Amino acid sequence: MARENMNLQIHLIQDELLVMGSMVEQATMQAVQALKNRDVNTARLIYNNDRVINEKRYAVESAVLILIATQQPLAHDLRLLAAMLEISSELERMGDYAKGICKVVFNLRDVELPIPIKEFEEMADKAVNMFHRALAAFVSEDYQTAKAIPAEDDQVDQLFIKAQHFIVHTMLERPEIIDHMNLLLWVAHNLERLADRVTNICERTYFIATGEFLELETEPRDIQGE
Amino acid sequence: MTDASELKQDYAITTQDLDIYYGNFRAVKGVNLNFEQRKITAIIGPSGCGKSTVLRCFNRMNDFIPGARATGSILFHGQNIYDPHIDPVRIRQQIGMVFQKPNPFPKSIYENITWGLKANGFRGKLDSIVEESLQQAALWDEVKDSLGKSALSLSGGQQQRLCIARALAVKPEIILMDEPCSALDPSATLKIEDLMRNLSVNYTIIIVTHNMQQAGRASDYTAFFSMAPDRAGVMVEYGETSQIFTNPRTKTTEDYISGRYG
Repeated sequence: MARENMNLQIHLIQDELLVMGSMVEQATMQAVQALKNRDVNTARLIYNNDRVINEKRYAVESAVLILIATQQPLAHDLRLLAAMLEISSELERMGDYAKGICKVVFNLRDVELPIPIKEFEEMADKAVNMFHRALAAFVSEDYQTAKAIPAEDDQVDQLFIKAQHFIVHTMLERPEIIDHMNLLLWVAHNLERLADRVTNICERTYFIATGEFLELETEPRDIQGE
Repeated sequence: MTDASELKQDYAITTQDLDIYYGNFRAVKGVNLNFEQRKITAIIGPSGCGKSTVLRCFNRMNDFIPGARATGSILFHGQNIYDPHIDPVRIRQQIGMVFQKPNPFPKSIYENITWGLKANGFRGKLDSIVEESLQQAALWDEVKDSLGKSALSLSGGQQQRLCIARALAVKPEIILMDEPCSALDPSATLKIEDLMRNLSVNYTIIIVTHNMQQAGRASDYTAFFSMAPDRAGVMVEYGETSQIFTNPRTKTTEDYISGRYG
């Protein structure tokens, strides 16, 4: 098979994305644990480490642009490279969500408040699990798996609603901690968005493998209520 | 007019079950293609897949090769250009060709343009046609003060544009281009591609190219040819260039355009 150099370069970029992915997974799980344990030191470490994820994103972008400029990839190669640009930006944003949770850990230091930590842990577990499998499907271009994963987002959404109810209920009962409880809403939001971005990665995998843009539905078509 | 011509009148050229032979060797088989009017269609494929052979059939240039013959049909204005009563000289006036290496006559720039007109018995104002043709070929501004100079004094890119002007002078409908930029540097190549884009407003252009990026940059439609196990060239895939280059339907096309075969 010709184009060994380009194939090698593409694999190297894919490897970088996997490294980014595992950093995001770790940051997410650790951020939720830091919130649970009110561990400001760990939160600071994760917060600072996000810079490395961001740098990797720019390195991936640069490597992809150089390949496009010098190797003139076409068809599947071109779709793969375009998708890698998108995925690197998704991963960077997912890293920002973990960083955002760490920020909440700082802001809540020394504050006593009830945290729906069971829901948060389950959300993180579920989202990271989906994310992990989505990256594996991306690398193997398993578009059928990629197509199936977004349906699981429902479970994360259910947990999100549960956490949200708990937070709002607490706010009503204890108006004096509304500001702090509001920060917990952000944690719930970040974990929910993380799972949403898994869907975007799956859509890219579907595109790489088939050449078609398919919107993988995760929400009911009609939004309930007003 | 026959029924077939009424069906196909929207196309510049239609081939039906086209087979091309050199003696007993079938060089191309089973080509069914419609070339869109006033669009640029690129024919790409590995060496030996018959793309130049097909192109040369479109204005019967293969007539000059002993033993070359075509079966099936090539419809142009509803008539098979290989019908016995068709005058190949007239066909070559309507369907012009530009070759791989610029091949101006060793005469003045002016005479290069007027030669074909005179050969066709044209009796009119030559000056205005010379200017118009050179304008259309984006060469006028560079040569208008030296029309009497030898065409061979021009650069390669200018010579190629002169050959395009020469083809335009006899008012063709279709311009065939066989690797028109392979002897040119990148800047002359891009000039020719810009020129093709401008010409496609009025002319149908069919270009054979080895340069995939050129096909991608310059064409609206792409036909990919490959070689069958019996070594005959076959048309594998045809479609809009944007589709062929981003999401080809067949693996053979994919492998070829992504540089993994051929």
